[in-house]
Amino acid sequence: MKKIYFILLIVFLNTNLNAAVKIDITRGNLEPLPAAVSDFYIDNPEKFSEGIKKLNLESNLPKVIKNNLKRSGLFYILDKKSHIQKPKLSHLKPRFEDWSLIKAQIMISGKIKIDEKGRLRVEFRLWDVVSAKEIEGLALFATPKSWRRIGHIISDKIYQRMTGEEGYFDTRIIYVAESGPKDRRIKKLAIMDQDGANNKFLTLGNELVLTPRFNPNSQLVTYMSYFKNLPRVYLLNIETGVQEIVGDFPGMTFAPRFSPNGNKVIMSFAKDGNSDIYTMDLKSRVVEQLTSHPSIDTSPSYSPDGRFVVFNSDRSGFQQLYVMRSDGRKVKRISRGKGLYGTPVWSPRGDLIAFTKIFKGKFYIGVMRTDGSGERLLTENFYQEAPSWSPNGRVLIFYRETAARKKGVGASSKLWSIDITGYNEVKLKTPSDASDPSWSSLLSK
Amino acid sequence: MSLKNIKNLILVVFLGFLLTACATSSRKPGKDYYTGSDTVKFLASGVPDRVFFATNRSSLHSGAKGTLNKQAAYIKSSGISVVVEGHADERGTREYNLALGERRANAVKDYLMSQGVASSKITVISYGKERPVNPESSRLAWSQNRRSVTVKSK
Amino acid sequence: MPPIIAIDLIQISDKTQLPFAPKAKEIIEKIKEKEKERLVTKQAPPKIIPKEKLDAVPLPDNIKKQVEEKKKKQNPEEVKEKIRQSSEFEKKELFDPNKIAALIDKSKEEQADIQAKKSLDITQSQDNTVSLDKGLTITQEDAIKAQIFKCWNIPLGLPYDEDLTVRIKLQLKPDGSIMSSEILDHARMNKPGQGFYRVLAESALRAVKLCDPLKMPTTGYNKWKDLQLNFDAKEMLKG
Repeated sequence: MKKIYFILLIVFLNTNLNAAVKIDITRGNLEPLPAAVSDFYIDNPEKFSEGIKKLNLESNLPKVIKNNLKRSGLFYILDKKSHIQKPKLSHLKPRFEDWSLIKAQIMISGKIKIDEKGRLRVEFRLWDVVSAKEIEGLALFATPKSWRRIGHIISDKIYQRMTGEEGYFDTRIIYVAESGPKDRRIKKLAIMDQDGANNKFLTLGNELVLTPRFNPNSQLVTYMSYFKNLPRVYLLNIETGVQEIVGDFPGMTFAPRFSPNGNKVIMSFAKDGNSDIYTMDLKSRVVEQLTSHPSIDTSPSYSPDGRFVVFNSDRSGFQQLYVMRSDGRKVKRISRGKGLYGTPVWSPRGDLIAFTKIFKGKFYIGVMRTDGSGERLLTENFYQEAPSWSPNGRVLIFYRETAARKKGVGASSKLWSIDITGYNEVKLKTPSDASDPSWSSLLSK
Repeated sequence: MSLKNIKNLILVVFLGFLLTACATSSRKPGKDYYTGSDTVKFLASGVPDRVFFATNRSSLHSGAKGTLNKQAAYIKSSGISVVVEGHADERGTREYNLALGERRANAVKDYLMSQGVASSKITVISYGKERPVNPESSRLAWSQNRRSVTVKSK
Repeated sequence: MPPIIAIDLIQISDKTQLPFAPKAKEIIEKIKEKEKERLVTKQAPPKIIPKEKLDAVPLPDNIKKQVEEKKKKQNPEEVKEKIRQSSEFEKKELFDPNKIAALIDKSKEEQADIQAKKSLDITQSQDNTVSLDKGLTITQEDAIKAQIFKCWNIPLGLPYDEDLTVRIKLQLKPDGSIMSSEILDHARMNKPGQGFYRVLAESALRAVKLCDPLKMPTTGYNKWKDLQLNFDAKEMLKG
């Protein structure tokens, strides 16, 4: 009897491990994840000054988070009116039934207080409503006026927890603000938070400015200016406002970008009708010429490891993309499709190159692998160019112009962003027309 | 020549090109330069200030050379210095257009020098696509914007 | 990445390799209730001091505590006070007394599990002679797939070019409700660099929960009481 018992046990264990019917689930819905962001709970309202009260942080801070998550295209934010549970309970463990009833799969709650040092202390929790558990929680401190940044950092934490990738919300965008008629366009450098808040102008518009780009630590910007009608590459410290010209070139310098470590500026220098690529070391001031070809070589961009440079050149007769070693050797063409290719930008992850493509009178933003294979066009339009990567390499920002009718009527230029999957094309709100966007790295890094 | 005639001419050239099939770039490479007189100003009486280029090109067609011959003669006789501005249309990337404008301005400078103008009398500047003369988005406007303009320096 | 959750999950997964026998689970539930408090107080939380980061301090999970404290009308700041003193620039481990209790309970469950299995063996193994047959028909499989498809929100941010498959094992009751669900490769969820796997796994778990109870064939319980679902989003993300 004991023997039989044993055999039966083995049979049972065996079948228990192997008998399960296996079913492959390869389809699901691609709808954004339904998420609820509760208004936050104010812990010690008596400590809030009149000025801070007016900010209505209990609803405006969650609003920053909601807007970020919504614009990422990955989340569907449930209307506040649908919430059953009231925000006065936002500091407690949620009643999951209340949230699953309105079909939320995740929920964010939080608590705000002013601590004894007068700082804002914001605590948030991310709840998996379906599995009824907390999956993230963090407290952040800041001066009350930095409340929006707290919202962005919380958004980044949620994004990271829900996607497995770093976020990109605690970032800024530098761009060219445009106004006036097309043939006498006024252009100013401007900077804003990634969500369009805190817009500031950095130049007055007295001279034409183009193509600002952040360096890796985001304090410095390199751009092109027509100051005194001498088109040259400049540096601008956005904290101090100090500007300086890069190098002493006897002609136009343009298309600047920083090297990944921020030590060098790479750019084009045009002389006698020929544009080649140069670098200048910002400390030693040593200038190096990387290309020497009687064609237009421009729009250089370093790989994130600094070992390679991608650029566009018309040496084949038409604008195409080339990769070379960062010493200028071993130039290799990578773009192979029909059409013209320009403005290549190496992704921060290193695996892709974003570009502008012109084909049959249309403009495309696309990505390809660094050897030119796997080309994917993300968006087609009348005119768009100059992609810039979000720091996590998921999103591209670029500018798009509309066609103008007689006398320039109907002309506009706006910033747009798109996911590298080609989904979620979004127009960014700017106070004026805008072009040449450049995305900063994460500010809190 | 009326505008319609010009358009027809361009169309014929374009169709001819399609037959020889290359087709990576613009619709009528090498030939779609503006030949009219709208937007043109004068450096001096009988001396037009600008020449026009085909899409993505910086070569000077014979009409352009005729204009530059007049400019060279005027610059030499009057002793003025000039700035040659190079421009591109809005149908290219901004940075490439800066380089293209510079290349066009230098093509003009080289030609003026070949006609005896001293190098020291000519400076060049590129505005890329930043300063169109015709703000419309049309083939005609683009052809008028692909230009170099010779201005007296102050 | 905040270390809090990751550590939790590693410990759970280490101890949930074996599925529960149904009756044992009920028994364990009861034991759990009784032992919970005692275990909480005995066990010290795991401590890890991660690298410094500005302005961010993970929270102790004091929510439950607060609720209790509120009832007693006491100062609810006790735990937080401690954290503030330890400098806000230092990231500290967040622990959840309840979760830790759950972990400890899990290890109990495991032992109970084995015992419970023994007691169930005889009845279940008698049925097994039937389940050696082929599994479900294609139509039956498709019906199950169709249900899961509707419940599964594929995490849109996942890379489309990475091979990620999450295998979930389900034990179903005769009415199609889910008795237990378990990720087969649970340990992978907490390995560094496996953030995408964890995201996919959690989405798959949500799908399973949202689909509970499943509409199953009215016959052949033995053929479908154990289901393994292999979640793979690659084709969908490629577009």
